[in-house]
Amino acid sequence: MDMNVTQAEAGRLGGKDLITIGVYTVIYIVIISVFGALGFIPIFIPLTAVFCPLVGGIPFMLYLTKTKKFGMITIMGTLIGVIMFVMGMGYWIAIVGFISGLIADLVMKAGNYSSAKLSVLACGFFSMWDFGNLMPFFVGREAYLATLEENYGAEYVANLSSYMPMWMMPVLLAATFIFGILGGLLGRAMCKKHFERAGIV
Amino acid sequence: MQREFMSREGQIKGLILDPRTKLLLILMISVFVLGGAGGLKLFILRPILSFIPFVMLVTSGRVGQGMLYALAYSTCYFAQIVLLPEMTGMGSAFILIMSGAFCRFLPGFVTAYFFVSTTTVSEFMAAMERMHIPDKITIPLSVVFRFTPTVMEEANAIGDAMKMRGIGIFGRKRKKLFEYRIIPMITCSAKIGDNLSQAALTRGLGAPVKRTNICNIGFGFWDAVIICICILVVVWSIAYM
Repeated sequence: MDMNVTQAEAGRLGGKDLITIGVYTVIYIVIISVFGALGFIPIFIPLTAVFCPLVGGIPFMLYLTKTKKFGMITIMGTLIGVIMFVMGMGYWIAIVGFISGLIADLVMKAGNYSSAKLSVLACGFFSMWDFGNLMPFFVGREAYLATLEENYGAEYVANLSSYMPMWMMPVLLAATFIFGILGGLLGRAMCKKHFERAGIV
Repeated sequence: MQREFMSREGQIKGLILDPRTKLLLILMISVFVLGGAGGLKLFILRPILSFIPFVMLVTSGRVGQGMLYALAYSTCYFAQIVLLPEMTGMGSAFILIMSGAFCRFLPGFVTAYFFVSTTTVSEFMAAMERMHIPDKITIPLSVVFRFTPTVMEEANAIGDAMKMRGIGIFGRKRKKLFEYRIIPMITCSAKIGDNLSQAALTRGLGAPVKRTNICNIGFGFWDAVIICICILVVVWSIAYM
């Protein structure tokens, strides 16, 4: 595989870009998992679709200031998906992570990776990866609830399924997108307020 | 306190496994133990798979950690078997959820720990290259392994600094707590990340030639044993379905 030393002139991803992807993936996951851990308590599971996109917007908007080439956001989405899969969120997350990363990448490409409005929109699409975490509740619901029952007992599962009825599926999907956009706006405000001053944008 | 994920030296003693076998083990445990594939019919399979990381830890010289894992897992496992059918109510529900979560997450966590503490970055890269996984995935992934402890350390240090100033859930500035802890963490991590990429580029990561590797990886006897167990588990689960 040939990588160009002078990355700026080539549209391909160079070593520096690949490291940037890794670094921001870690920052993103560490911040997300603070709120994702709330998901152990049944009533907070639907709320992760609100909190995770909202706080994830802050590192993601900073990340978007570093992406100037196609593929970086897709790879980040895929990596988050794979890591979440290994951490036990079901296999859907790997697919959803890739797709939402790809859509966000295409949105950014449409704005030539410099449009401020499109980057908020991209943040909304990217945040939809979080829906992959909740997908086992709706696709293959019976089997998933049965595996939960084995570990947590029937009472917990009855409790949980009352918080996650089938009609929640489109609601949660929309919530990840809307709160992703709000998270993008929050992230942009934070970039202006803190990161530009600190000189890391 | 220096915590490290990808070790500097490879595994010296014990059952030496190829990195690919370790990855297979992580995959198996995340599908069957964490994901609960197969449901109740394969109930017996989960303790068997969960036993493998214990063997790996003990034989590689991490006896204390292995024992701790065995103790925690078996306590939670028996708590589940004995208490699950009988207990109801809120207080016991909490215990059940805790033990259930431990049974689910602990084996995967321990296997992942075993993987990152016995595999060097070079071995990991060599294994990924043999599996024909492109650099575009391998490099970011190895950065993830290398960088996660750093970010956690930064987060803890910032938490300490905020506590010293009396900023916390039970202290002052509760509303701004999130901003006060997250923003410095991102700033520090992003700067360290820049240094990391400079260091890697200095060592020739961005060079337009193929990266070579002197790591000797390959399958041995114990790899065969683990792979046989994995194949048996898969065949068994398919036969049951």
